[in-house]
Amino acid sequence: MQKSWIIRTIEIIIFIIFLFFLFVPLFSTIIWSIALRWYWPYTFPQEIGFDYWLQALGIIKSLTLGAVNVVPAFILSLGIAIVVVLLTMGIAIPAGYALAKLRIPKLLKGLILILFLLPRAFPQQPVFINLMLMFNKIGLTGTVGGVILVHLVVSIVYAVWITTSTFSSIPPELEEAARSVGASRFKAFLKITLPLSAPGLIASAVFVFLTSMDEFTGTFFIGIPFVTTLPMTLYSASGSNIQFASVIAILLLIPSILFMIIIQKLLKAEYLGGMGG
Amino acid sequence: MDYSLKKELSLKKEQKEVGGKYSHFTPHMLPYLLILPAVMVILLLYLYPFLASFWKSFIGKEGIFSLSNYQKTLHLYRGDIIFTFGVTVFSTLIATFLSILLAVYLRLSKSWLAKQIGVLYRLPIFLPFVVVAQMMRSFLAPHGILNLFLAKLDLIDIENPLQFFNWIGLTFGFVWKEAPFMALIILAGFQMIDNTYIEAAKSVGARLPQIITKILIPMNKSNILVAVTLVFCSLVGCFSFPYMLIGGKTPGTITIDIAHRVNYFGDYGVANALGVFSYLMVSLLAIYYIRSMMKRGLYE
Repeated sequence: MQKSWIIRTIEIIIFIIFLFFLFVPLFSTIIWSIALRWYWPYTFPQEIGFDYWLQALGIIKSLTLGAVNVVPAFILSLGIAIVVVLLTMGIAIPAGYALAKLRIPKLLKGLILILFLLPRAFPQQPVFINLMLMFNKIGLTGTVGGVILVHLVVSIVYAVWITTSTFSSIPPELEEAARSVGASRFKAFLKITLPLSAPGLIASAVFVFLTSMDEFTGTFFIGIPFVTTLPMTLYSASGSNIQFASVIAILLLIPSILFMIIIQKLLKAEYLGGMGG
Repeated sequence: MDYSLKKELSLKKEQKEVGGKYSHFTPHMLPYLLILPAVMVILLLYLYPFLASFWKSFIGKEGIFSLSNYQKTLHLYRGDIIFTFGVTVFSTLIATFLSILLAVYLRLSKSWLAKQIGVLYRLPIFLPFVVVAQMMRSFLAPHGILNLFLAKLDLIDIENPLQFFNWIGLTFGFVWKEAPFMALIILAGFQMIDNTYIEAAKSVGARLPQIITKILIPMNKSNILVAVTLVFCSLVGCFSFPYMLIGGKTPGTITIDIAHRVNYFGDYGVANALGVFSYLMVSLLAIYYIRSMMKRGLYE
């Protein structure tokens, strides 16, 4: 009786420490985003308000706050992410289908597998700087097209993995049955396999979307200074204006939390580590 | 048997249909055509620049083969290379320790608290490193919440707050972001272990530490190693968080140095040599990871 009481107390203390370290960094960002004046060492800000929010969202224009309108950056990030999703899924769905369902020699399959594991295993930053050199030659550095391509590289690996494992989980008998009554391979794919794998494919698309929205390193080397996505505005605000940077940080984490709550059950644990590198 | 026969027949039929129009196109080519775009993207935009970092690191200022980039790298950045390795190993060890504890707790406890923690701990997994960096900048700043809290508890002098924008803050952020991810992978492995093993051990008198070290960890070794590998490799290559937290300070990480080399000096030779050092740093674990994923068959 005595012992279980002690264990219970320890559990609660650890729970409080856990909550402190897990959530206080987040709360600190939220409070800073609405703190107009906050002098050290006061526990709470002296003056709070949504001025930085309104400024960042382009609703008010004040020269004293030192924050800019981030709506254009948000729209640019959104646009890039949508193109990246279409492009990546358009390439990954056929590849995933072939790897999961069609006959490919074992050796080739092994080589492709290694090729698609390399980007996860080795640091990507040196790759981006050489990509930057390549893109310099053909005038893609500093363009939206260049940024889209670098986001494509970052997300294609995950997209192919997820689509492949999704297609593998659909029993082949269903498509065979459709084909035995005269459907072409393409029709069988369209009518049987595609609808059945929709949840996995949607999860994969959302994953690609978030990867593109949050992508930092590739955009830093390929996009700067002309392509300012939302993470880039966060980076430039971060050193100089803590309130403004906090607003952007919260804007960036809302879609992540929202989407991942919805799709996390559909994804294998290992893929989640690819989020936001 | 009937099945494969049918498959054969339908294949022949298809061959005839398609073969009529394009004599060089056969269904045997279909898989290759479908994979081709994905493979081309990786070959051109990943593998080529990846291999380029090796040979460019051996090309000196005069455009000929030399080791000058490596000499310069070791001369200027030896401390940073060691620092990167040290912080990454330290962060990975702490994250591994905490994540195993968390996963064990979530696997064994049925309490209400465990249920809440089981949901809440996943938050950092979904946040990108840029956001984590900003959160840590305000949390760990000299006049940040953590120092404020420690001062209110009288643990530190309010005039003399602790400095966290160094290896401590870096480790804290790395662990904050990666330990939950590791716990997620490790917990998935623990849940595959049947309760009967644990109950059998208990019935012969095993206590909690023994259950952890003799049953849970050994039976889940491969998942733990994959989690360690993934985290170590991504931390060595992590750029945004160190750059935003300690960019410009010494010692810094390899990734910060690469960015400086490229942005301020346009020196791709030394940047690539630094890149090769980061490849070497992860090489053993990276090879282990690729081998174990191949054995497992990623496609399942």
